[in-house]
Amino acid sequence: MKPRAKIHDRRKSLSPAVIPMYLWTILFVAVPLFYILGMSFLKKAETWGVVMEFSLESYQGIFNPAYLKVFGQSLLIALLTTLITLLLGYPFAYFTARLPKKWRSIVLLLLIVPFWTNSLVRIYGWIILLQGNGVVNSALLGAGIIDTPLKLLYNIGSVLTGMVYALMPFMILSIYNSVEKMDWSVVEASRDLGAGKWKAFLTTTLPLTMPGIMAGCVLVFVPSVGLFFISDLLGGGKIMLLGNLIKNELLSAHNWPMGAALSIVMMAVTLLLIYLYKRVSGEKSLEGLL
Amino acid sequence: MKKQKPVLCLILAALLAVLMLAGCAINGDKDSSRPAGTGSSGSEEKVLNIFTWATYFPDDILKEFTQQTGIKIQYSNFDSNEEMLMKLQASQGGDYDIVLASDYIIEMARSQNLIAKLDSNQIPNFKNIDPSYQSKFYDPNNEYTVPYSAGVPVLIYNPDLVDFPIKGYEDLWNPKLKDSVVLMDDARNVVGLTLKTMGESLNTTDPDKLQQAKEKLLTLKPNILALDYNTSYQKIINGEASMGYMFTSQAATALLANDKLQVVYPEEGVGFGIDSCFIPAKAPHPGNAHQFLDFILDPQRSAHISEQTLYLNCNAAAAPYVEQSSLPDAVKRQVLTIPDDKLRSAEFIQDIGANSSELYQNIWTEFKQS
Amino acid sequence: MKTKKKTRFPLPELYIILLLLLFYLPILVVVVFSFNDSKLFQWSGFTFSWYEKLMRNQTIWQSFATSLQLALLSCGASAVLGALGAVGMAGRQFKTKGLLENVSLIPIMVPEIILGMAYLTVFTLFRIPFGMVTMVIAHTTFCVPYIFINVKARLTGLDPSIGEAALDLGASSRRMFLDITLPLILPAVASGALLAFAMSMDDVVISFFTNGPNTNTLPLQVYSMMKMGVTPEINALCTVMLGAVFLIVALSRLFRVRRKRS
Repeated sequence: MKPRAKIHDRRKSLSPAVIPMYLWTILFVAVPLFYILGMSFLKKAETWGVVMEFSLESYQGIFNPAYLKVFGQSLLIALLTTLITLLLGYPFAYFTARLPKKWRSIVLLLLIVPFWTNSLVRIYGWIILLQGNGVVNSALLGAGIIDTPLKLLYNIGSVLTGMVYALMPFMILSIYNSVEKMDWSVVEASRDLGAGKWKAFLTTTLPLTMPGIMAGCVLVFVPSVGLFFISDLLGGGKIMLLGNLIKNELLSAHNWPMGAALSIVMMAVTLLLIYLYKRVSGEKSLEGLL
Repeated sequence: MKKQKPVLCLILAALLAVLMLAGCAINGDKDSSRPAGTGSSGSEEKVLNIFTWATYFPDDILKEFTQQTGIKIQYSNFDSNEEMLMKLQASQGGDYDIVLASDYIIEMARSQNLIAKLDSNQIPNFKNIDPSYQSKFYDPNNEYTVPYSAGVPVLIYNPDLVDFPIKGYEDLWNPKLKDSVVLMDDARNVVGLTLKTMGESLNTTDPDKLQQAKEKLLTLKPNILALDYNTSYQKIINGEASMGYMFTSQAATALLANDKLQVVYPEEGVGFGIDSCFIPAKAPHPGNAHQFLDFILDPQRSAHISEQTLYLNCNAAAAPYVEQSSLPDAVKRQVLTIPDDKLRSAEFIQDIGANSSELYQNIWTEFKQS
Repeated sequence: MKTKKKTRFPLPELYIILLLLLFYLPILVVVVFSFNDSKLFQWSGFTFSWYEKLMRNQTIWQSFATSLQLALLSCGASAVLGALGAVGMAGRQFKTKGLLENVSLIPIMVPEIILGMAYLTVFTLFRIPFGMVTMVIAHTTFCVPYIFINVKARLTGLDPSIGEAALDLGASSRRMFLDITLPLILPAVASGALLAFAMSMDDVVISFFTNGPNTNTLPLQVYSMMKMGVTPEINALCTVMLGAVFLIVALSRLFRVRRKRS
């Protein structure tokens, strides 16, 4: 009896191996986040930093119509990015998972390799492609499809292109994981029972891969509200995302409480999404996302 | 298990590398944590931390300095003056030895005691500086800064794409320019030019006037192709934009690529800015910093710098060398020298206090978002 | 089934190829333009001069060295923290376990800019000078989750009794860790570290807020250079990096194939 009780005790106690990570998490994750939570309730100082005085000013400031518009546009772009990556990425992941094993690993490798180069340079490639006298316009002009160069850059479309491009692998990899894990016999059974190709897909494959879809959506949606450099470079400074707004509040407006309040709201939205993901997918912890 | 062997080797190699680098890092930290002495460069570690826009100090000048003095240069970049101030505040005026930034932000930094006084004995070449760039609002007694270059934001247009005469800012609103104007991505300058068209100062703080300016600015949005602080000239060169509002150096870059472009000094009056070097209050290597400032003020070197940056040179002694340079006349005539009457009407963008800057920022956010 | 497959229209394969082509299109453009004679985006002749310039550009190489050092340090630190954490948590149910897990994963769950801003303000508050130390702290924090998750997944796939049995039999826990656990989790640590390394080498946002005077990383340098104008040197750099990655991948595959044969 005794040893078992001992094991039981140990199971409930903290292993010394966890201590470094525990301390690190408290010091460098929890403390900074609580600090900006606190800061968001403070008053802005005249020149720099904050005044130690409770205030809801920053949260009220969010209801400034210009800011609400930024929120709206940022959410719209994030939603569209998620939708497009899902629509383009699902077939890719699905088809890849059905390839012979040898080809599967090659396709996945080809998908991941660009990750290892600089993401900014890949965005830069899009600028070269989409410019007024860039590759796409030259090709279209050469083929006689258009007479005057199209303005392909510096609009929502080009920002979306960059976002979808940068985040697509996350969507594909999460869906791929769930398609690969899927039990194909269920799909075959449903087809044996007379379900058509599409019906079998909708009633069995799609629900079975839902965790992957959800994970992919979260992984794409979350960064897409904050990637300020993509809208900086491809949006011609005309498209503001939440990330740009926070950066501006910190750098140009020197309004730290406002930047903190915006961050807190953004984080609340993100965590809410993850919570919903966990509820829907039934995942107990977050690592299903990776 | 066998299959993992290469991975194991990789990890071992990585661990070794980490250990080695950690060793270096610790040594490096020891060096940089040395107290900031104010003594001569002889006793200082041979390092100089420079902080400015990417490529603003030309690479070959930095290399020459390292070769001559043995002082290693660590160059870090910022993309905006505001970012510089944020970092400088965060480090309490330490960490960096030389900062090169714009006039109004220098005034803000100085008012927060983030700047050290220069020791003029260590910069004999200071005498080369043109007095018309000295004693400005941000440094009335020339104690803190060394002017590096000056710039006037100008209008530039492509006559092939614009079929009406351009005289000033007001022409930006012309409906013919739909979706073809590129402006610098900067609240103070763009709200400022709107104020200029209303006959107001660039530094207006009157909320009513600013409200009017905002309404007028919002009607400019349909003409905007892009807002771009640093690379607007590209869009003019490749014909995406037919008209732009940018600094003289950027206009010069555009002219170098296409000499048909026309530069216009707006009739409503121009803005004016000086970028200057300063040494932060707690710079770790002030001796090296002084040595560097004197080094770049050498007339020939200074001329060589402005040939590359294409900014107006604040160094009077460098002028003859710039004149001899191989730059095309169109560039020298149109942007490297500013007509005197224009210069007289020029107005500095100055610090207008936190509340007014916030007004400008709000207008800007609304304009971008509209 | 098999004959049917042969005759059907190869739509899936075509789709995969098409999307991969789109993926590589911008990269291909960058590679091609790294050989372009002109600084502008029109093709005007073949040249190697940007590669020469790249070789001579000490700022870029300095930032590359900084990035490498930073990525290795934070990878190393996070590998130790994350692997130990995952091992320590396996098979245990202490009260705050769930909370610790969720909080430690926040860095990769919330948009990077939030963490960046948090570090900027906190380091300013505690007057920690910005530099390698702050960068390593920040990067380690967002690297830990990658390793933690990988190792945890590896451990859940294993029979927990292995470790416990060893403990019960009185083997010193250090020996157990070295002889049993470590070899088992090493592949997971390695794959997590590889991912973390890639993330650290490519990070712009968090580095933007935590860098100091002598920690200009490669992505920050690239970002500044791109903001300042057309720089075909960056195209050349990207081509070199891409070539290196492909070389490493190809070598490792070759290596694996040979091992399988022998």
